[in-house]
Amino acid sequence: MTSIGTGYDLANSIFSPDGRNFQVEYAVKAVENGGTSVGIRCKDGVVLAVEKVITSKLLKPGANKRIATVDKNLGVVYSGMVPDGHHFVDRARDEARGWRETFKTPISTSDLASRMGGYLQAYTLYQSVRPFGITAIIGGFDSELETPVDGEVGSGPSVGAGGKVEGKHGGPGLYMIEPSGMYWGYYGAATGKGRQAAKAELEKLNLSENKLDLMQGIKEAARIIYVAQQDNKDKEFELEMSWISGADGPTKGRHMEVPKDLLEAAERLAKKAISEDDEEDEEDDDEKNDDKMEE
Amino acid sequence: MFRNNYDNDSVTLIFQVEYAAEAVKQGSVVVGIVSKTHAVLVAIKRNAEELSSYQKKLFAVDEHVGLAIAGLTSDARVLSNFMKQQCLSERLTFDRAMPLETLVSLISDKAQLNTQHYGKRPYGVGLLVAGVDDSGPHLFEFQPSGLTQEMLACAIGARSQMARTYLEKNLDKFPDCGRDELIRHGLRALKETLVQDRELTVENTSVGVVGPKEPGKRPLEAFKVHDGADVKDWINSIADDAEAGGDGMQVDE
Amino acid sequence: MIRGGEMNEDAWLKIKWVKNVPNYLQLQSPHPPPAVGARRQSATYIPQAWGRPRDDVYGAYDPSYMQTNGPNQHTQSPIVTGTSVLGMKFKEGVVIAADNLASYGSLARFTDVKRLRTFAESSVVGFGGDVSDMQYLDRHLTELAIDEAYASSTTTNSAQPTLNARNLHKYLQKLLYRRRSKFDPLWNSLLVAGLDESGAPFLAAADLLGTAFSSPSLATGFGSMLAQPIMRRLVPDEASVASVTREQAVECVRECMKVLFYRDARSLDSYSLAIVTKDGVELHQNEKLENQSWAFADRIKGYGTQTV
Repeated sequence: MTSIGTGYDLANSIFSPDGRNFQVEYAVKAVENGGTSVGIRCKDGVVLAVEKVITSKLLKPGANKRIATVDKNLGVVYSGMVPDGHHFVDRARDEARGWRETFKTPISTSDLASRMGGYLQAYTLYQSVRPFGITAIIGGFDSELETPVDGEVGSGPSVGAGGKVEGKHGGPGLYMIEPSGMYWGYYGAATGKGRQAAKAELEKLNLSENKLDLMQGIKEAARIIYVAQQDNKDKEFELEMSWISGADGPTKGRHMEVPKDLLEAAERLAKKAISEDDEEDEEDDDEKNDDKMEE
Repeated sequence: MFRNNYDNDSVTLIFQVEYAAEAVKQGSVVVGIVSKTHAVLVAIKRNAEELSSYQKKLFAVDEHVGLAIAGLTSDARVLSNFMKQQCLSERLTFDRAMPLETLVSLISDKAQLNTQHYGKRPYGVGLLVAGVDDSGPHLFEFQPSGLTQEMLACAIGARSQMARTYLEKNLDKFPDCGRDELIRHGLRALKETLVQDRELTVENTSVGVVGPKEPGKRPLEAFKVHDGADVKDWINSIADDAEAGGDGMQVDE
Repeated sequence: MIRGGEMNEDAWLKIKWVKNVPNYLQLQSPHPPPAVGARRQSATYIPQAWGRPRDDVYGAYDPSYMQTNGPNQHTQSPIVTGTSVLGMKFKEGVVIAADNLASYGSLARFTDVKRLRTFAESSVVGFGGDVSDMQYLDRHLTELAIDEAYASSTTTNSAQPTLNARNLHKYLQKLLYRRRSKFDPLWNSLLVAGLDESGAPFLAAADLLGTAFSSPSLATGFGSMLAQPIMRRLVPDEASVASVTREQAVECVRECMKVLFYRDARSLDSYSLAIVTKDGVELHQNEKLENQSWAFADRIKGYGTQTV
């Protein structure tokens, strides 16, 4: 970052001579210090998880939720500045409401990601605002059923032309949006402090094969948060998780908190997996030492 | 004083927020605690000079909510008036007490906007919002950044770290406290923050409390700010236990 | 012969066909035909007037004709309507019913219109009156339910209760009153059924004027005259609610639906019925009236084509 201190990093919407927008890069820095967030797109739904660092003993346990619902079938989790995340969620809810007003149907995951990508990008364009200090993960399940439009009464004509195109509709969706407004669709997404470790773990799951189901997804998400947290073990944290299935799955198409018993079971497994890893590491170390001694 | 050349550029709003957080630390201390039934706020009031009145620290927002402030009083009044209006409109349109979390997120969103747009400044005040709604008692801490967090107990303002230490030490006792015991814990936490030679008096202490009139029942004893002679008994009751030994200050004989 | 840009009479006669233009197409033109034997100087030489109806044929333009001063007329009457809604409290909850007909005047236009709508899986609103206004309210309530869920799902253990039936009724009443005060009423009369904050049965009505009231049994429209007296025999007052069972209440409401079908010409024998208790909403949308007896019809005298 040779251009730091040259003045190009002071204002938003200013490019430095080497073509960078420093304000956006600083926003990314804010994200990189936040608690880790993870999203996994399973074959039958989506799991979202976040590591909430406990900053004070006086905080009410289990309160201060970080995963938010948008409409009924979408969930948002984010790493970075929490009040900015709140702003993001408010806007996402407004977009979902506006979509319903216009189209009389819920917004799809990809459309919400597109709208929010546009919104974040606008905050990189003007001197009068600063970019969002968050990277957000949007998970959703677009209904695969033939759903009525809002306010529909009756069933309409029982014969005659229909409007629906044959084929498969709906399904799970997962998107991650960065402070620049850039977004991509993901099989597994991670952001925040522990994102490197989390990404490495996500890659091992071979999510693109579309074999992992929600129940496994919950266990993996919990484990990944615990693995990603290994680097600052001294900090206490709370695990928060949510999930979304299709209409015939456990959440009936809605975005919901993972039930307490499932969450606790997943946490127990995660802790166990981590302590086993530690032991293996220690064993490895021992072996190496042995090797050395033998040399 | 100034950290760097960002200070004169209002677009780098983040540093502005940090300075606003400093304003909170200039205010006199306020403490809030919740039990399973009650929510309590206590505060130290300051007077500008000997003959002036004491600065108001606690405000009733609605029957079921009150707030305590540390920082710029005028900013607090803006937020307090806004919250009063929101609570009234909730009663008018839905005939119910405004849920605390909803109320707090409204001011949190207002505050966040001030940190992201040019030409605005953050609110220079921290708040403790305490009340009882249909899901029970709640205490929220509000910061100028727009961050609001639900707490079991909290203290903000000058020298509030001492009070927080007291609160952390006694955290386990709060849930089962009765109304007056909870107030006494609040006052003891306040006392920890006092400098040498200062003490809690009926002039400088405010107490606000809300909770059910009878255990486990409605209606509520509405949030009320107690000042002056009303707080005398509570102050005396904690003066007693300090002298009786305990973990309070030992008096030289 | 043309001189000075004006046509003389000879030139005009050569294009006589213009006279055969239908009356309604007589528009003002830059070159209007001069009246025979006179040279006509008229305002039609003003370019702004070209293409408009001729003043000498139709009279001067009346600017008040297409103006929209005064109140909106289209809000002043309902178009497609639903008839009565019935509701009755019992010991543990409320039963509510409405038929599945949407009438277009006296025409039975739509016969599968569901007029009972659930709110947040805990309350039911029954709509009488204009069906498009009902759809508007239904969409509005969907949004309200979504917003309410935002607040409650973020709270610890989802402890924050959503809007109960009493909150919902108050809200709808305020909404209806606000709209009538704008002279743009939502043309409905509705019943709200559910439980209040203490878990007790709640039933109340609100109408297009914002009028609201509550009673152990309620009916809108024709039902207020035909069904209400029957329901009051079972629940004359609030105290009697505690002794009425669910079966009794459902039975009574079904009987009332039958009476309404006998005597309300805008009603239907297919109807919806919902039962709200602390366990949630049980909604049946395709009920049929059973054991009808039209024997009484013979005894009706006094109107129609009867000769006796």
